[in-house]
Amino acid sequence: MSFYVPRGAIFGLLGPNGAGKSTLVRILSTLTVPSSGRAAVLGHDVRAEPLEARRRLAVVLQQTAAETLLTVRDNLLVYARLHGLDRRTAAARAQAVAEEFGLEERLADTVQDLSIGTKRRIQVAKIFMLEAPVIILDEATTGMDPMMKRRTLERLRAEARKGRTILLTTQVLSEAEELCDSILILHRGRTMAAGTLAELRRRAAHVFRVRLTFARVEDDLGARLQALAPAELELSGASAELVFHGEEVALLEKLAVLARSSPILEFEVRRATLEEVFVNLVSAQ
Amino acid sequence: MTRGAASAIAAVFYRDLRQRMTNVGFVFWDLLAPLAYLALFGLGFERMMGGALLIDGRPLDYSAFLLPGVLAMVSFSVAMNTSWGFFMDKDSGIFHELLTYPITRTQLIVGKIAFNVVLSLLGAALVVALGAAALGVPVEPRTVPLAALVVAASTAAWFFVFSAFAIAVRRMDSFNAVTSAAYVLLMFFSSMFYPLGGMPDWFRWIASANPMTWQVDLLRWSVLGLGAPARLLGEAAALALFTAAGLGFAVRALDRAGD
Repeated sequence: MSFYVPRGAIFGLLGPNGAGKSTLVRILSTLTVPSSGRAAVLGHDVRAEPLEARRRLAVVLQQTAAETLLTVRDNLLVYARLHGLDRRTAAARAQAVAEEFGLEERLADTVQDLSIGTKRRIQVAKIFMLEAPVIILDEATTGMDPMMKRRTLERLRAEARKGRTILLTTQVLSEAEELCDSILILHRGRTMAAGTLAELRRRAAHVFRVRLTFARVEDDLGARLQALAPAELELSGASAELVFHGEEVALLEKLAVLARSSPILEFEVRRATLEEVFVNLVSAQ
Repeated sequence: MTRGAASAIAAVFYRDLRQRMTNVGFVFWDLLAPLAYLALFGLGFERMMGGALLIDGRPLDYSAFLLPGVLAMVSFSVAMNTSWGFFMDKDSGIFHELLTYPITRTQLIVGKIAFNVVLSLLGAALVVALGAAALGVPVEPRTVPLAALVVAASTAAWFFVFSAFAIAVRRMDSFNAVTSAAYVLLMFFSSMFYPLGGMPDWFRWIASANPMTWQVDLLRWSVLGLGAPARLLGEAAALALFTAAGLGFAVRALDRAGD
């Protein structure tokens, strides 16, 4: 596997469980020493210069990590101090970050008494205490409520615009689709596909999802739809959802022929989503 | 030491301090359990023996004999209890995250040990104060800094060894079983509670290889002026080696912890 993330980009690592996403994150964050190959963070080799690499990183690991015995305020302050911030800067940033992530009412609470979602929020809020040029997030939004997730994604986008580089792993493909400039799909430790979202979509350019609603339900509707040779078919009453592989023009011609005998009230044709590209690639393996 | 390294060590110290201060029960146990040993064991055995011990031809109350052993117990207990905190860090998930912070493994361990040493010295000061003021132990003020040095080195040594073990093992019950056994065996197969002179050869042989004995002997010399200089020099060298090896094991365990 080989990849390069340019400065200021948001890079997504996707893959099913066991694909190797977390191992890759552990190597890049210097937790695991690679048995072979080379990985570098802003030019600093993770094996030869692990401290220099770590100085440029803010990392959120998959497991919810917070100092459970400490208060929320101390979690933020201790994190900042361990990253070299002085006391005054740490206190000012802790206040700002707490307000942004809705933690200001919780600052004096001990973390062990808080919900998993709040712990996750603290963990993610911590990275915004720093100005580390590279942010690594391993399924960071898991367990967050939708509002907080939205706020986090918006903040990440803003940080990327400021020039920070973001590498994230996620199983929520819509999140990657919404956020990432480029994506690497992993499977069993190997690159299955890589590129921008548009490039990945082109790989599934001849896959179409079609949704149809007919004017009436006819006994042989299922047979007529099967005759169109879809890759997938789901029929429910007067509604059907089909997946076709092929050329768009040929597909539209087939639908036009069908509409003559079975009048169609509504139809929707769309290209594959990232999720469909992903499922397609993984299934093909 | 560079300013950055000092700042990293201070940050780890600050973290441990904040953690420890959230539970006064920990501090109470670290500091007051040895005092209870000294007061209850010291007085109890002293009354039972009905007179002074004769050590190196010098009469000595049992409380005075025991006091250096209790100082050793302070450093051992603080080190063991604090190294247990690695399991808290593992459970909360913060352990691996800590290893991604811009501090070296050595700075992490040294920052933690700095906090332990402060706690041990505080406990040792309480023990010495109780021994001198309430039990009449003849503490020599000039040698107190030397005793403090031995307490600091011993705390570091035990903390390094227990930390290496806590980092390497996955299960907390395994750690608790081994450390509880070590606590009993290391204390009772040492010169902590009784003079080794009257013990069988096999016992003395085991005790002489026990770091707890080196520590207690050095403390007994620094607090009470007891012991043969040649033997003590050897024990000091052995304790220094034990501490250095412990640091090496702990840093190595941290290096491997991410795998």
